[in-house]
Amino acid sequence: MRLTSFLHSDNFSGWAFILPYLIAFVPLLLWPFIQGFWMSLHEWNLLAVTFNPAAKEFIGLGNYIRLMGGDDIGWSLQPMWPFRLVVSLLVVALYVRSVRRRAVGYSHHIMAGLTLFTTVILLGLTGDWYDTRFWIVVRNTLVFVAWVVPVTTIIALLLAIALNREGRWAATLRSVFFFSQILSVTVVTLIWQLVYGVRNGFIANVLAPFGIDSPNWLTDDQLAMGAIVAATVWWSVGFALILFLAGLQQIPGERLEAATLDGAEGWRKIVHIIVPSIIRTVQFVMIMQIVLHFQVFGQSQLMTQGGPGDATNVWVRYIYQTAFRDSEVGYASAMATVLFAFMMIFSVIQFWVTKRQES
Amino acid sequence: MNQRALPRWVFIVVTAAAVLWLIPVVWMLSLSLQPNELLSRTTANTFLGLVPVPFTLDNFRAILSIGDTPRWFMNSMLVAGTSTLLVLATSTLAGYAFARIRFTGRSIVYPLVLAGLMVPEQVVFIPLYVMFADWNAHNSLPTLALPRVALPIGVFLMTQFFKDIPDSLEEAARLEGCGHARIFWSIMLPLATPMMMTLAIITFLYSWNDYLWPLVSPQRTDFFTITVGLAKIQGNFAQSQGLGQLMASGVQASLPVIILFLMFQKYILRGIALSTDK
Repeated sequence: MRLTSFLHSDNFSGWAFILPYLIAFVPLLLWPFIQGFWMSLHEWNLLAVTFNPAAKEFIGLGNYIRLMGGDDIGWSLQPMWPFRLVVSLLVVALYVRSVRRRAVGYSHHIMAGLTLFTTVILLGLTGDWYDTRFWIVVRNTLVFVAWVVPVTTIIALLLAIALNREGRWAATLRSVFFFSQILSVTVVTLIWQLVYGVRNGFIANVLAPFGIDSPNWLTDDQLAMGAIVAATVWWSVGFALILFLAGLQQIPGERLEAATLDGAEGWRKIVHIIVPSIIRTVQFVMIMQIVLHFQVFGQSQLMTQGGPGDATNVWVRYIYQTAFRDSEVGYASAMATVLFAFMMIFSVIQFWVTKRQES
Repeated sequence: MNQRALPRWVFIVVTAAAVLWLIPVVWMLSLSLQPNELLSRTTANTFLGLVPVPFTLDNFRAILSIGDTPRWFMNSMLVAGTSTLLVLATSTLAGYAFARIRFTGRSIVYPLVLAGLMVPEQVVFIPLYVMFADWNAHNSLPTLALPRVALPIGVFLMTQFFKDIPDSLEEAARLEGCGHARIFWSIMLPLATPMMMTLAIITFLYSWNDYLWPLVSPQRTDFFTITVGLAKIQGNFAQSQGLGQLMASGVQASLPVIILFLMFQKYILRGIALSTDK
C-alpha cells in the first residue's frame, strides 16, 4: 500500500519524468562545465595525461595569469587614442542625452559603464604580455563582431521594413533572404571560397571583362577579415530578419497610419516611428548576435585557416588549436572559461533588456 | 502588415538584393551540373557560369559511386535522426514534469537546467572530448549524437508550451483518477504534436549543420559526418576530384536541409522565434 501510493505521488512522477533528460544533462553538460573549470586550474597535457593519468599538476590560477598577465603593466592614454576618444565621447553624449530624456535604465548604466571601462581603461593597458597571440585573437574576434553585428542589423532591419507586407513578392523575398541561414558553415565557406577565388572566382569572373584583376581576398591581410565578414553577413541576415519581422507585426497599425497622415514619409517614418517602436527587439537581436558571433569558428578555420599570419584567427579557433594541436587542454580550458565569462556579461544584459520589455 | 505600396526604387533595390543573395547558391548548383574538364578551364562558361550549359549529371553520379560522401551522408542522417528522436523523447517528458507536476526539487532543478542555456558548445567541448576519450568512445555514432541531447533548449520550449495549456483540460481526467503517465500520453502529447514537429525540425537542422563536435571527436574518416567530410575535401581544394564534384558534394550536403526548408519553412521560423523568446 505504501509503495503504490509512493508510485502515484507527484514526487515520484516528477522525478521519473525528468530522469531521462537528466541522464543526458548531468554527465554531458553540467559535469563537463564544472570539469572545464577544474581543468583550467591545471597544467594538463592531453597526450601526457592519456598515458599517465597522474601527469596533471594543479597550478591554481597559473593558466589565467599566463593568459592575461604580463610584465611591466602600465596604463597610458596613447594606444589607439583617436578611436578611444571618439568612442568615449560618443558614449558619454548618448548617455547624457538619455539621462536628459529620463530614459535610462539598468541596461544603459551597464552598457555605458562597460564601454567606457573598455575604451578608457582596458585599451590603455600596456605591458609585455605573456601571451601576445591571445590579445591578437581577442582583438580579431572583437573586430569581427563589431562589423558583423551592426551591418547585419541594419540590412535586416531595412529588409524587414520593406518586406513586412502581404503578397507573393514579399513572401518569396523573405524566403530568399532566410534561405542562406539554413546552410551549414562548411557549405557556406565552400561557396564563398569559390566566389572569392583569384583565378576562377565569381568576383574575378565579373571583373575580368573590365580588365580588372581580382585582389587576393582571402590571403591579403587588409581584405581577409572583410571577406569573412561579408560571407557571415550573407549567412546570418535571415535570422535577424525573422526576429525583426516578428517585432514589426506587433506595432499597432493605427500608429503607422497616424504617422502617415501626419505626413511622416520614408526615412522620417523609419527613424522616428518604426525604429523607436521596435527598439527593444533591435537591442535584443543585437545582443543575441553578439553572443552568437563571439563563438565564430568555422569561417576562420575553413576560409583562411586564421591567416594570413594571425590576421583572421579568432578566439574559439585559438582554443581549438591550443587544445587539439598543442594538446594543452588545461590552458585551452582557461581560455574557454574567460570566453564564457565574457559572454555571460552579455547574457546578463540580455536578461535585463528582456525583463524591462516585459514590465 | 503594411498595406501601402512601396516606392518603385525600393522595390527595385530589394529585388536586386535578393537576386544578389541567391547568386552564390545558384552558382554552386550550376557548377555542380557542368563537366569537370570545362570547369578546369573556366567557371564562367554560360552567363557567368550561372546557367549549366553544357549540362551533365556525371558529378553526382561520381560522388554517389566513389569516395566517402555516401557514407558521411548516412552518418549525418543517423546522427541527426538519433539526436532528434532522443531530444523529442527526453524534452517532452521533462517539459511536462517541469510545467505541470509539483515535485520536491523542481525549484532547484529547473533553474539549473535553464542556466544550461547559457553554456555554449565551445565551452564544454574540451572536457567532453577528454571524457569520451577516457571511455574509449570516440569514433562512434552515438558519441556524435549524444551531446546534443543534453542541450536544454528542447526542455525549455516544451516546458513553455505545457505551461500554457489550461488546467481545465486536465481536471476531468484527474477526477477520473488518471495518473500523470496517462494524462501525458493521452491528453498532452496529442496537443503537443505541432510543437514537437517544430522542435524536431530545428533539432535536426542544427544537428545536421553541427561542425565543432564532429570535427574534434572522430579521427577515422569513416565516422565523419558530411559537414566535416566536406570540410576535409575542400581542404585539399586544388588536388581534389575536381570542382564539379566538390560542388556536387556541397549540394548533396545541403539537400536534406533544403528539403526541410521547402516543406516546413513555417515550422523553422516559428522554432527560431520561440527559442529566442526567453
